[in-house]
Parts: sequence; C-alpha cells; structure tokens
Amino acid sequence: MERYSVKIDSFEGPLDLLLHLIQQAEVDIYNIPVSDITNHYLEYVRTMQELELNVASEYLVMAATLLEIKSKMLLPQTEEKEEMLLEAEEDDPHAHLMTRLVEYKKYKEAAAYLQEKEKQAALYYAKHSTDVCSGAEQQNEPNLSEEVSLFDLLQAYQSLQNRQSRSAVRTVTTIEAEELSIEERMDDILSSLESNGTVEFSALFPVKQRAYQIVTFLAILELMKDGKVTCLQSENFGDITVTTRGGRPKG
Amino acid sequence: MKGEEIQAILLGLLYVRGDEGIEVKEAADILETSESEADAQLTNCQAYVETRVPGLQIHKAADKYRLVTDKTIAPYLAKLTESPVRSKLSQAALETLAIIAYNQPIGRAEIDDIRGVKSEKAIQTLANKKLISEAGRAASIGRPILYQTTVHFLEAFHVTSLEELPPLSEDATEESALEAEQFFQSLEGET
Repeated sequence: MERYSVKIDSFEGPLDLLLHLIQQAEVDIYNIPVSDITNHYLEYVRTMQELELNVASEYLVMAATLLEIKSKMLLPQTEEKEEMLLEAEEDDPHAHLMTRLVEYKKYKEAAAYLQEKEKQAALYYAKHSTDVCSGAEQQNEPNLSEEVSLFDLLQAYQSLQNRQSRSAVRTVTTIEAEELSIEERMDDILSSLESNGTVEFSALFPVKQRAYQIVTFLAILELMKDGKVTCLQSENFGDITVTTRGGRPKG
Repeated sequence: MKGEEIQAILLGLLYVRGDEGIEVKEAADILETSESEADAQLTNCQAYVETRVPGLQIHKAADKYRLVTDKTIAPYLAKLTESPVRSKLSQAALETLAIIAYNQPIGRAEIDDIRGVKSEKAIQTLANKKLISEAGRAASIGRPILYQTTVHFLEAFHVTSLEELPPLSEDATEESALEAEQFFQSLEGET
C-alpha cells in the first residue's frame, strides 16, 4: 500500500523540530515561552493528524515528554533527590532527551557533510561502460541482431494501418459475426513459423479488418511474452521479422 | 610484461569499464598476477593519470578503480547536458545514510531511535539506489536485518574508504549539549 506522505516545512521529526527550537533559543535564550513551544508542537500535530497519523504520534510523544520535563522542574527538589536522579539517568526524561538530541545533532551534521560530498561527487563524470560483447554477437547474425522494443512493434502496426487505410477502397461493409480468439491466432502464427522459420511482420496481417489485426497484434505480443517468438529488425523503420526463438523447444 | 604495457592494459580496462569500474581482483585475473601486484599497478596508473593526463583522474573506492573526469572541467561538461545533475537524496535519506555509515552494521530500530522518526522509507530509498545493502541479521530478539553501506556509496560520494569520513565531531556535541542545557534552563526560568 502506498502511503501518502506530506512534508511540512523542513523538519524531519520531533527531534529535528526541537533542535530547531533550541537553535532559535540560542539567539534569544531568555525569551522562550514554554506555551509557545507547546503551541508550536500542537499546531504541527494538528496539521499532520489527518495526513500522517504515524508521524503525529511521534510528535505527541515528544510533546508529552516536554510537558513531563516541565512538570518535574516545577517540583521542589532536595539535594538527595537530585543525586538519585543523576544516578538513574536513564529514567530521567530530561537527561535522556538531551542525550538523544546531542546524538541526533551529530548525525544531522554528518548528513550535511554527506550532502556536500554528494554535490562534489557529481562533478566527476564517468562514462557508461562499453559493451564489448555486442560486437561479437553481431557477427553471428549480421542483419537481424537488434531486439525490437514494444514501441517498434507499435510503430510497425501503425504504419501498417496507415498503409492499409490508404489502399483500402471505401465500400459498404457488413459486420461479420465471426470471432477470432488470441489463442487461435497464436497457434496460426506458430504453425506458419513452423514451416518457414521466419515470417515478415506485415505478412501476418493479410486480413484488413481491425478486429483481426488487433487480435493478431495481441497474439504476437503474447507469444513474445511467453518467449516463443522473437522479433528482429535490421534497421530503423525497417520491416520486422518474426522468428521462433532460436533452438529453444516449443513450450 | 613491461610496466608501460601493464599501464596501457589497465588504462584500457578502466576506459572500457567506465562507471562500473574495475576491481583489484579482476585486474589481477586479467594481468595474471597477484592482487597486491595488481593493486600496486593500479595505484601507479592512478599516479600516472594524475600527473600526465589532463582532464581525467582515477578514483578509488574500496577495491574498485574508476576512470572519471577531473572536477576542474566539470563546468564545461555541464554545458553538454541540459538536464539537472542526478537526483539528490532527501534530508531523511541523508540522515539515515549518515547513521548507517557511522554505525554499520545497524538495524532499523536503532536508526529510528536516533532519528526519532520511522526510517523505513528512507532505508528503502537507499537500498533502491544501491547505497546500502543488507548485512545479515542481528542476534537480538526478532533477528532484525542489519544494514551497511556499499562500494557504490563510496563512489557516489567520491570517498575512497569509510575511514575518510570525518569523525563525528565532539566539539559539536559539547556545543549542542550546552545549547540544550540553555534551552531547558530557559524552560525552567519561564515556569
């Protein structure tokens, strides 16, 4: 399932947002109203809630952590308690969060470094590797070497249609009820290939009827997909030759 | 074989291979010599191109050498192409990649932990771009998949080895710890 992800501002998560707030705090240390920070968080969460529940929950956890820290700070603390807190740093949300922030910031900086390296690396160009094998293969099949793409086939089909529509005499036609299945045409094509080995693409369309042509075209595609035939084209826009896959037993 | 001949062969191989590069082991097989000898010859070749062939250089990433153009001529080469240079990685992907690069092998849960958000998609992106690969599984509960960076990562960031990456700066750590401290003090001060 595809997730619809939306990026708001340029924050990458609650830690990133918090880091951003801290950096702002450096500029104006004594003037950060906690309510503002909490509001900032909640605004963020509200915007995200309908879009990315997963992310929103992470932001909620951070908001809750901040509130927890704030409430703990409000409590009067004896010296003894503070010592205990130091010992149990793991349980102290303040210390824990600080550690995480510091850790995260390290990697955020490393990411910035990598980004710079990535930019730099783009300045070194390497050429694509030269295909030294293709030359040898070409000698075996001097004229029919290039595998044809689907687009070549489509183009051939289009030009065939153009040619036929030009030559077709406009007459009143009757609709024939006869139905031709792709499987039938596949068998037809295979049997004509069996006797000849190869057959011209255009020769497979003797009947100038749209349904017939489409069924034939689909049959060729189906045979290609199954690997029963190969289409070869000696030059751009040249006629396409359909052959059985060389040497492979019929499936 | 004379040194010059070997250099010619290696340079030819590097040219033909292009961005795929050639590994020391392959070069050793082709030259029918030991890997250490092949590596030495490739290093020679690198030095030769560096001093004698303007516009080109040989870049080493782990065990792989590639023939690339020099950085100095990049602006001219850029004129050849209208399209913007390669797709850049997102911030999330870069952060994830940095965490993996400095802590490999590492599992997804630990990455999520450091970043404070899920990194699944970033990991997928990095794996698709062949910048990271799986490195077995951890022995811990659930046997999570571990990730490591690839040779392609070194190539894509024009780095020779992981050791070349600068250490995570401790100064910055203290600085941010101070900032964090100030931040919490300001929280405290206001309440």
